[in-house]
Amino acid sequence: MTTINRQATPQDPQEPEDGRTLHDDLHEIWGNPRGIKALTIVNHTTLGLRFMITGMAFFLLGGILSMLIRTQLATPDQNFMTPDIYSQVTTMHGTVMMFLFAIPVLEGLAIYMIPKMIGARDLVCPRLTSLGYFCYLFGGIILASSLVIEMAPNAGWFMYTPLSSSEYSPGLGSDFWLLGITFVEISALSAGVEIVVSILRTRTQGMALHKMPLFAWYILAMALMIVVGFPPLILGSILLELERAVGMPFFQVAGGGDPLLWQHLFWLFGHPEVYIIFLPAAGVISTLIPVFAGRPIVGYGWVVFAIIVTGFISFGLWVHHMFTVGIPQLAQAFFSAASMLVAVPTAIQVFVWLATLWLGKPKFKLPMLWVLGFLIIFVCGGLTGVMLALVPFNWQVHDTHFVVAHMHYVLVGGMLFPLMAGFYYWLPLFSGRMPSETIGRWGFWLTFLGFNGTFLIMHWTGLLGMPRRIYTYEAGNGWEIFNLLSSVASFVMSAGIAMVLIDIALHFRFGKPAKHNPWGADTLEWANAMPPSAYNFVSLPNIETRHPLWDNPDLPRTMAEGKHGLAVASHGRREMWGSDSITGKVREIVHLPGNSWWPFLAALALAVVCISLLTRLYPVAAVFVIVAGLFLLRWSWENGAHPKAAPDAEVNEGDPPLHSRTMSGPGVWAMATFSIANGSLFLSYLFGWFYLWTVSPEWRMPEASPLSLLVLVGAGVALTVGASIMEKLVRGLRARRDSGLMRGFYLSALLGAVQVGLVLWSLLSAGLEPTQTSHDAVLLVGLVYALFHGALAMILTAMQGLRVRCGYVGAHAPFEPAVVVQLWRYNLVTFWVLVGALGVLPRVMGG
Amino acid sequence: MREHNRAAPPSRRIQRASRRRVNLAALTVLLAALLLLAGCGGDHSILNPAGPAARDIRLIWFVMLGFGTVVFIAVIALWLYTFKKRHVARTPAQERRIGRRWIIGGGIILPTLTVIALLMFGVPTGKRMLTLPLDEPPEVIEVIGHQWWWEVRYPGAEGGEVVTANQLMMPAGEPVDFHVTAADVIHGFWIPRLGGKIDMLPGRINRIRLEADEPGVFGAQCAELCGVGHAHMHLHVEALPRAEFDAWLAARSDEALAELAAQNAAFDAARDSFTQFCAGCHQVAGISASNIGPNLSDVGSREALGAGVMAMEEGAIYQWLRNHQTLKPNNLMPRHDDLDNDTLQDLGAWLETLTP
Repeated sequence: MTTINRQATPQDPQEPEDGRTLHDDLHEIWGNPRGIKALTIVNHTTLGLRFMITGMAFFLLGGILSMLIRTQLATPDQNFMTPDIYSQVTTMHGTVMMFLFAIPVLEGLAIYMIPKMIGARDLVCPRLTSLGYFCYLFGGIILASSLVIEMAPNAGWFMYTPLSSSEYSPGLGSDFWLLGITFVEISALSAGVEIVVSILRTRTQGMALHKMPLFAWYILAMALMIVVGFPPLILGSILLELERAVGMPFFQVAGGGDPLLWQHLFWLFGHPEVYIIFLPAAGVISTLIPVFAGRPIVGYGWVVFAIIVTGFISFGLWVHHMFTVGIPQLAQAFFSAASMLVAVPTAIQVFVWLATLWLGKPKFKLPMLWVLGFLIIFVCGGLTGVMLALVPFNWQVHDTHFVVAHMHYVLVGGMLFPLMAGFYYWLPLFSGRMPSETIGRWGFWLTFLGFNGTFLIMHWTGLLGMPRRIYTYEAGNGWEIFNLLSSVASFVMSAGIAMVLIDIALHFRFGKPAKHNPWGADTLEWANAMPPSAYNFVSLPNIETRHPLWDNPDLPRTMAEGKHGLAVASHGRREMWGSDSITGKVREIVHLPGNSWWPFLAALALAVVCISLLTRLYPVAAVFVIVAGLFLLRWSWENGAHPKAAPDAEVNEGDPPLHSRTMSGPGVWAMATFSIANGSLFLSYLFGWFYLWTVSPEWRMPEASPLSLLVLVGAGVALTVGASIMEKLVRGLRARRDSGLMRGFYLSALLGAVQVGLVLWSLLSAGLEPTQTSHDAVLLVGLVYALFHGALAMILTAMQGLRVRCGYVGAHAPFEPAVVVQLWRYNLVTFWVLVGALGVLPRVMGG
Repeated sequence: MREHNRAAPPSRRIQRASRRRVNLAALTVLLAALLLLAGCGGDHSILNPAGPAARDIRLIWFVMLGFGTVVFIAVIALWLYTFKKRHVARTPAQERRIGRRWIIGGGIILPTLTVIALLMFGVPTGKRMLTLPLDEPPEVIEVIGHQWWWEVRYPGAEGGEVVTANQLMMPAGEPVDFHVTAADVIHGFWIPRLGGKIDMLPGRINRIRLEADEPGVFGAQCAELCGVGHAHMHLHVEALPRAEFDAWLAARSDEALAELAAQNAAFDAARDSFTQFCAGCHQVAGISASNIGPNLSDVGSREALGAGVMAMEEGAIYQWLRNHQTLKPNNLMPRHDDLDNDTLQDLGAWLETLTP
C-alpha cells in the first residue's frame, strides 16, 4: 500500500522484475483473510456465497416446518400439534420461506453474479454488502430462535391486526416478527441499493444498457422494486411495534386507528414482493434458455419491456389480496383488471422463451430439466392466478387451500425451480466441478412429482371448502383423502429436495472437474477462473456485443493475460471502472474500500438493539443505537482522501480520474437510490395519515391543530437557508473553489441544529397524547421523522467540516459534499410537504 | 435391446424421456380425474352449490378450468415440441418474423382476449352478491364474529330483535342480506354452498347477499385466521321455508324466551347457579343481560355446542361444562370444573330445556 510499484503496466503484466505475476499482486490486494478476520471480508463472491448458503439453511428450516404442517393435516382430528404450536409453525413457515430464504438467496445470487456479468470486480459498496449479510444472519437467527423457546409469532405470516396486537397476541411472538423482519429488511434494502448502483454505474467499458445481459435487467428491476417496495412494510412494522410496545393506537378502531391500514401497508409491500421473487428467477430462465438453445434470445427488447411493465403493474395490484375486506366495487374492478393484465408481460416472456427454443437447437441438459419443471408449474400457477383475479371467484376460494395451492405453484414454480436450474447451471462456476446428472435427475423427478402431488390435489381440497390455517378438521367433508395424498406427496418432494441438496453438497468434493465455460455460454461470468478469484478479472474488457464470449471466444484468455483495462495493481487500491449509466462509456475509476470490521460491528450493535427492544430494555436499546451510529460514522470516515481510501489520486496516463475526485461517482447514485427508498417510506407515511383521516371509522380530528404553524415554518426557513448554503458550497466545489468550505459546513450544520431545535419545540409544546388517539400518534411519528433527518443532515454536515480540516475533503476531493447535499434536498422537500400535510391541510380542510 | 438403448443418440433418448413424461402426465391426469369425480359433494363444497350465487361461481370455475387446461396443454406441448422438431436454418429476417409472431400472438393477443372474455363473463356474476336495493327489501341478518363463536341477530323480527348464537336460520328461496362485523379480531363469514365470503372487521359493517334455493342445512366455518380457536369456529346454517322461519323467530321473542326460562320450579336451584356463575357473561332472557359470551336463551334448540365442537344431545351441556377446555382448547370461557357435579348437571339439565 505504501510502496507503490509503478513498473507493472497493462503492457507487460506477466513479466514484472521481481518474478511476481499480476495475479499475485491483485490477489494481495483483493484476497480474503482467514480465521477470525474472515468476518471483515467485503468481497462480493464470498458474501454472495454466504448469502446463498445461509438462505439454503433457512430453506431447510422452512421445509422442516412444512413437513410438520403436512403431518398435522394428514388425517382428521390429529393431536400431533396444539393449535398454538400449529399457528407458530405455519406463521414461521411462511415468514422463513419469504424473508429468510427467497429474498436473501436471490439477492445472494445477484450479489455473486452481477459484478461478474457486467465485467466489474466487486459491488459498488462492498462494506454495505457485508453489513447486509450480518443484518440478515443476526435477524434470521433472532427470528428463528423464537421457535426454540416456543414463542414464535402465531398470527400468520401477514400478521393481520388486531390479531397480532398486544391485546390478542400478548406474548413476544409478534415482536419477534416485527423486529426480526425489520432487521432483515435492512439487509434486503442495502443490497437493493447497491445492486441498482452497481448495475447502472460500474458496467465495463462499452457495455451500454442495451448490451447488458438480460439477467442484469431482471436484477435491476428486482433491486429497484425492493427499494420502493420494502419501505411500506418497514413503516407498518414500526407502527405496529409502537402500538404493541407503547400503546399508540394506529390499528385500533377505538383509538381512531384502522386494522385495514396494516393490510394496505402489508400488501403494498407484499404484492411487489411476489414479483421481486419471480423476476430474478425469470432472469435465470432467460439466461439459460439461449445458452441451451444455442442462439441469442428472440426479442431482447420485448423481454426488457415485459420486465419494466411487470415492475410497474406489480405496484398496482396489492388490493387483490383484499377483495373480501369490503372495498368499493369500482376499486375492485380496477384491481381485478390490473391483476389480470399482469398476465400480458408474463405471457410475453413465456412466448419469448418458446420462440427462442423454436428457432434454436435446444439441448436437454440437467438445468433444462428444471427449466421445464418451472414452466409446467408456473404456467399452471399463472392460470389459477388469473382465475383468482376474478372477484366473484376470489370471494369463494379466498383463504381456502385453493389459494395455498396457487401460491405454492407461483412461488415454488416461479422461484425454487428456476433457482435450482440456476444452481445446476452455475455450479461449475462456483466450484469448478460438474454436478452429477444421475442423482440430479432423481432429485428433480422426486421434487417435481412430489410437488404436484402435494399442491395439484390441494386445489381440490380448497374447492371442497377447506379453509386455510385450521390446525385440524373433522372427517366427513370429503377432505380426508386429499389431505392424506397431499401429505404423502409432500414427503416425496422433501426426499427430492434432500437428494438435490446432497448432490450439490457432494459435488463440491466429488464432482468431475469442469472444463472452461462448460455449457458454451455467452456472458462474461464465464470469463472468470473456475472457481473465481477474489477480484474476478485481471483486466476489464471493452464490450461491444450482447454475447461477448460467443463473438470473441478468446476473450477469457486475453482478459486473464491482462490485455484489457485496469490491469494495474501497483497502487494497492481495489479498482474498477465507473461508467456512464446509459452508454457504458468509462467515466472514472471507482476505488473500493478493503476489508473492514465496521460492518460486522455495526450489525452486531444493531442486533443488540433488536434484542433489547424485544426484551423491553429500552435504555440499553438507546445506548446501542448510538453505538451503532458511531460505528457507521467511523466507517464513513474511511472514504475519499483518507489514508485508508485513496490519499494519492494518481492514475495511469490516459485513465480517467478516481471517483472520489469527481462529483458524480457511484456514491452520489447510492444516495439518490437510498432517497428513493426513504421517499417510499415517507409516502407510505403520508398514505397512512390520509388513509386514517379519510377512512378510519372512529378518527377524531381535533378542533384546532395542536402544532404551532409558526414554529414549524421557522424550522422550515432554517432548513431552507441551510440547504441553500450547502448548494452554494457544492456549486463552488464543482468549479474547484473551496474557500470558506469548512465555515460553510459548520454554518449549515448550525442551521440544521436550529431546525432540529424548532421541530423539537413544536413537538414538546403540542401536548400530544399519542397513546390516546391515532391522530396524535401519527403526528408524533411525522415529527420524529423530521427530527431524525434534520439531526442526520446536521451531523453529516458537521463531519464534512471536520473532514475539510483533516484534508480529506476539499477542491481536490469534492465527492462527499455532493453526496451530503442530496440529504439536504431530500429534507427540504419532505419537511415542507410534512408541514403542509400535518400543519396546513387540517387547518384548511377542517376536521 | 439394452445395447441399443445405450447407443441411442441423445435426441432419441430425449424422445424416449419425453414419451415417458407424457405417460406419467396422462397417468396423473387420469388419477386426478378419478379422485375428483369421487367427490364434489360435502357440506362445505363450492362445487355443490345450493344457491344462485354459488351456482354461478361454479359455472365460472368449470369454464375457467376448461379454458385453462387447453391453454396449459397447448403451451407445454409447444415447448416439448421444440425439443423434438428438426432444426431449420432460416435467415435472420425470417427468424425475426417468426419470433414476433409468437410473441405478439401468444404474449399479447392471447392473454388480452382471455382477460377481456373473463371480465365480460365474470363481472356480472358478482353483482348478485352485492346488496343493491331491491323492490322488496330483503330480510337482514346481522352476524358478529367473536373469538371463537358467532353472534346472530335478527333486527327485523316482528316481536323485537332476536339474538342467538352459533346457529343461523334463514328463509329459503329469497335473497337475504347479511350485515357482518366483528367484536374482537377479524373473522371471515362464509357459507360455501351459498356463495362468496366477506371479512368481518371490527369497527366496520360489511354486507353480502346470499340466497338458498331450498330448505336445507349448510356447513360454514370461520375463514380468516382469528387465533388459536380458529379451527373450532363452525356455524350451523339452516334455510327454512318462509313460514317456518317466521314461526322460528316468533318463538324467540323476549317474552316467549323469558317465559321459557322461568318455567318448572324444579330448576330454581339451577337458575340460582346460573345467576351466580354464568350470568356475568351469558344472557338468558328474563334472567341476565350480559353479552360477553353467547346468548343462551334458546341453547337447548341448537344443533351443536361450542360453535360446532360437539353435538347437542342429552347431557351434552354437562359434558361441555366439565370438559370444555379439552373439547375446545384455549376457549375464552373460564374453567368450571371446580363446581361439583350436581351443580353442573343441574345447570346442564335446565339449559337443555331452553328449547322454544
